[in-house]
Amino acid sequence: MEARVAQSAARLARQENEIKLLTAEIERLKNFGCLGVSPSLEGLRDENAKLKYRLNFLKKSLQEERSKSMKSMININSCLQEIFGAAIQAAYPDLENPPLVVTPSQQPKFGDYQCNSAMGISQILLKTREQKVIPREIAEKIVKNIPANECIEKVEIAGPGFINVHLRKDFVSKQLSSLLINGVQPPATGKRKKVVVDFSSPNIAKEMHVGHLRSTIIGESMCRLFEFAGYEVLRLNHLGDWGTQFGMLIAHLQDKFPDYLTVSPPIGDLQAFYKESKQRFDTEEEFKKRAYQCVVLLQSKNPDFIKAWNLICDVSRREFQKIYNCLDITIIERGESFYHEMMKDIVKEFEDKGFVQVDDGRKVVFVPGFPVPLTIMKSDGGYTYDTSDLAALKHRLCEEKGDILIYVVDSGQSVHLQTVFAAGQMIGWYDPKVTRVAHAAFGVVLGEDKKKFKTRSGDTVRLIDLLEEGLKRAMDKLKDKERDKVLTPEELKAAQTSVAFGCIKYADLSHNRLNDYVFSFDKMLDDRGNTAAYLLYAFTRIRAIARLANIDEQMLRKAAREEVLVLDHEKEWKLGKCILRFPEILQKILEDLLLHTLCDYLYELATTFTEFYDSCYCVEKDRQTGQIVKVNMWRLLLCEATATVMAKGFDILGIKPVQRM
Amino acid sequence: MGLLMGEARNQLRWADGKTIKNEVDLQDIGTETQSLLEQLRGEALKFHKPGENYKTEGYVVTPNTMALLKQHLAITGGQVRTRFPPEPNGILHIGHAKAINFNFGYAKANGGVCFLRYDDTNPEKEEEKYFTAIREMVEWLGYQPYAVTHASDYFDQLYTWALELIRRGQAYVCHQKVEEIKGHNPPPSPWRDRPVEESLLLFEDMRKGKFGEGEATLRMKLVMEDGKMDPVAYRVKFTPHHRTGDKWCIYPTYDYTHCLCDSIEHITHSLCTKEFQARRSSYFWLCNALDVYCPVQWEYGRLNLLYTVVSKRKIIRLVETGAVRDWDDPRLFTLTALRRRGFPPEAINNFCARVGVTVAQATMEPHLLEACAREVLNEQAPRAMAVLEPLKVTITNFPAPKALEVLVPNFPADESRGFHKVPFHQTIYIEETDFREEADKGYKRLAPGQPVGLRHTGYVITVQNVIKDVSGRVMELEVTCTKSDVAEKPKAFIHWVSMPLACEVRLYERLFLHKNPEDPSEVPGGFLSDLNPDSLRVVHNALVDSSVRSARPFDKFQFERLGYFSVDPDSEEGK
Repeated sequence: MEARVAQSAARLARQENEIKLLTAEIERLKNFGCLGVSPSLEGLRDENAKLKYRLNFLKKSLQEERSKSMKSMININSCLQEIFGAAIQAAYPDLENPPLVVTPSQQPKFGDYQCNSAMGISQILLKTREQKVIPREIAEKIVKNIPANECIEKVEIAGPGFINVHLRKDFVSKQLSSLLINGVQPPATGKRKKVVVDFSSPNIAKEMHVGHLRSTIIGESMCRLFEFAGYEVLRLNHLGDWGTQFGMLIAHLQDKFPDYLTVSPPIGDLQAFYKESKQRFDTEEEFKKRAYQCVVLLQSKNPDFIKAWNLICDVSRREFQKIYNCLDITIIERGESFYHEMMKDIVKEFEDKGFVQVDDGRKVVFVPGFPVPLTIMKSDGGYTYDTSDLAALKHRLCEEKGDILIYVVDSGQSVHLQTVFAAGQMIGWYDPKVTRVAHAAFGVVLGEDKKKFKTRSGDTVRLIDLLEEGLKRAMDKLKDKERDKVLTPEELKAAQTSVAFGCIKYADLSHNRLNDYVFSFDKMLDDRGNTAAYLLYAFTRIRAIARLANIDEQMLRKAAREEVLVLDHEKEWKLGKCILRFPEILQKILEDLLLHTLCDYLYELATTFTEFYDSCYCVEKDRQTGQIVKVNMWRLLLCEATATVMAKGFDILGIKPVQRM
Repeated sequence: MGLLMGEARNQLRWADGKTIKNEVDLQDIGTETQSLLEQLRGEALKFHKPGENYKTEGYVVTPNTMALLKQHLAITGGQVRTRFPPEPNGILHIGHAKAINFNFGYAKANGGVCFLRYDDTNPEKEEEKYFTAIREMVEWLGYQPYAVTHASDYFDQLYTWALELIRRGQAYVCHQKVEEIKGHNPPPSPWRDRPVEESLLLFEDMRKGKFGEGEATLRMKLVMEDGKMDPVAYRVKFTPHHRTGDKWCIYPTYDYTHCLCDSIEHITHSLCTKEFQARRSSYFWLCNALDVYCPVQWEYGRLNLLYTVVSKRKIIRLVETGAVRDWDDPRLFTLTALRRRGFPPEAINNFCARVGVTVAQATMEPHLLEACAREVLNEQAPRAMAVLEPLKVTITNFPAPKALEVLVPNFPADESRGFHKVPFHQTIYIEETDFREEADKGYKRLAPGQPVGLRHTGYVITVQNVIKDVSGRVMELEVTCTKSDVAEKPKAFIHWVSMPLACEVRLYERLFLHKNPEDPSEVPGGFLSDLNPDSLRVVHNALVDSSVRSARPFDKFQFERLGYFSVDPDSEEGK
């Protein structure tokens, strides 16, 4: 007995001792090993701080250099708005938010731009102060207060109180020269912001259809526009890659290709594979059960199931990539699965902040102003689109730190997205005054019968088939025009793809995205009217003018520096002004995200050019010999300016012009 | 009751030779108040009038000088403008006091203004606490800056001028390494004659962070008095600045900044210490190279004190080794230390004024400063009584049942300045050293058979009984008292306390044993080996009279027969 006590006591003593040692050790470690900071560590820390400071400095300098090299084009409209804003402020200093309306004039007799604020101010004076002042009087007062500026030649008051603005010729001429020297530059937008664009976003194992086509085309153009305007753009493909459909797909895969883990299964037609498994899911009770188990195993990241999932996704990815290659789309894949791990925290965050109600086992969140709540957790504990969209929203705001978030998604999702955005504001992820989150909605694609776009057999149209047909139709058209006899085979091929894909994109982009649009190959390939075919022809023609006059690029560049662009002819003046409206068009689209404005503008530019070309000789030739008698260099420069602006417009729309067609 | 007494000039040894010498010094200097103008003796008398800079010997006159001076006068209205430009990287010491006194004093005496300008061009050294401490000390010394400015306020202007200097061909970007241009006769820069355009581009690159530290500097094309060629104007430092944050990675040097800041502020007299004499020509050169107003630089000798160290690095060592308590330990000669030691600001100003302004370096004994302090304190610190080593005394025939009140003059020399009351009770405490069991010849204070007077009471006490403990140590005295008008006149009067307050008293001696603790020939072991082991004596159980009950930190008293004491800021209630 005593021996055991002694033994225990000894053991306890040992343990006590050990505890003491360990406590001391912990204390020592807490104080960073007690040795103090070694001088070399101190030195390295110092150096690190300096390197960080320098890195930050170089970044800043780079930014500075970039913004300096961005010789931004002047937005004449906003210049005039500033001038009239100041004039109105001086004339009516007590007026709060007076209406400020400046638009390009429709007819030359009304000057170049018009300021129509007088009418609005008259109404305000009447309403808020019961003062009856006729707009003309107001217009006069505004005109008297116009500050000194470099762009207005003269103003006239017309009709009830329109102020017609005539621009200074030398100002317009100078802007055109700077455009030719510096190239097309975006309007100044201030600090470089980050834009996240969610577009395309097809579902795995399902075909891309024309709805995805719209999102893909519009989204790509928006990205290009923001990139050109100097924003940092993150292009995200929110793939549907994590739904319950994977349960049945994997179950079916296991049955059909039991050795899928070692041998890649030859799933050529994923669409058919999907249909087969759906059929079984709907009819075989046993299969259905297994499909649900598969979902659970996949979501618990079982490696075998992840492998199966990857196999299926890869098939789809390859199909999608084909289409993206045709349409020249750049996008990063970040599907629903990417947000899977975050969804748990999203639910918790809503619960912690007291926004969650339990309804019949489901966890729902009511957002003020929206009748239908978001379901963030199903009664079986699964998540929904609402959850993944909330997770994506938060990630884009808080992790990516986007200043602008754009969702290019069809109008049918409008209520859902608005509810998600409102929930994001409610929980404090963003302030709409600081961060812009926008749903760039679009209507559905209709067939020529104005009904939902279907094949003759009633199936949804496969996108890849549609593109193939486009190529075929474009070639037919080119052959109709006997271009195959003029162009080399390479040129012909280039013209074919340029026309085919250019037309499909342009047809989509040239319609107000909010409306439904009718898909018609005949219309889009027509080379008259507002189509890509017309614009592409017009563009190659303009480019050819200088070439035919034997003026090369270098000579043009030299002339741009030395030659003053005289704009004496009415059509020269009209064209010059039209060219310089490019920045105001872009600025408008950056605000309303309606790309058809750009198409309308390009069309207007092309027709204005035609007017100019019809009445102003650029190159004068001897009628008999065809010899070049005189080259009017300033007019060639106007051609060049038109072409560069058109080229930039095409670039934003994702259309590739060709040298010859 | 919160009292903790700091600072004692050790006048316990009353007849100490040193003290006598102090008194002699004091009288030597003369105590009559001098006008500020008279105080600024020596060199300052030679100073030019505002706008007449060109009359100064050595001032460089260019074709633009007269126009610039005219402009300068229009801006200043002919006012004298000086500046005190400390680097905010340390605590001010007695040497700075002279600069403050001289700059502010000269401006004041001439109806001018003085700027407090922080010379914060070096981003690595600056800390907020230094900025506030400097301001506090300037104000403590009784000066109000006309404006508080920073060299960094002018970084934009300085940068613009640097570009101009390059454009004028007077500065260039150089890539010589620091080691290459150190020492005597360094090789001239191979980049001295590079094209202006190149230097402009490279200087821009420096600003943008494209060069690492030490890879490029901007140098001015001039030779200085000491033969130093092309001083550096800008260097690269990847360090954030206290005030400009991360705006710059190039920072101007003293040589480049100082004269230009003086020019911007339209300083009339740029007063600096002798070591800057070698930089006078570069001062004039730079202002003239840019065609801006050129102030006059005047140099004066530094003020050094014996028996102390003032360098920041050395004080840090002293604090680290525990030789002193902190930067403001009363044994140091930083301004905060002097304040804590109880030196009135007037005393410091008087001291600086008396040292005067000469070109020669002035090395002073601390006791001269101490004499200045006593002179002011004699006027300012009211009398009180304190007993450092108390001996209990009971008056057996105390004439009243309760304590009596005794009136003590605040300033015995001038009774019109009031009295304070202290209690006088049956039990009093006297200094142990004021009692001896055997009075030898020459001993005049209390002993059996030798009565002594109690200051201010009007009573004389006579020992009746000496109470001792077993070891024979005197524990208490029993005495009888007699009214002094009836008693025989005692040989001496001693101080006492009754119903006193307990407090801690710290008695300070000089910190170093040798005059020049930094001089290796005098102190071969380095200044840390020269510490006086008795520089601080703490008396824990001293007793003071109740008149100091509500004293606040930095209040000062003269303890009768002991010396001057000041309430320390770390005093606590009841201690």
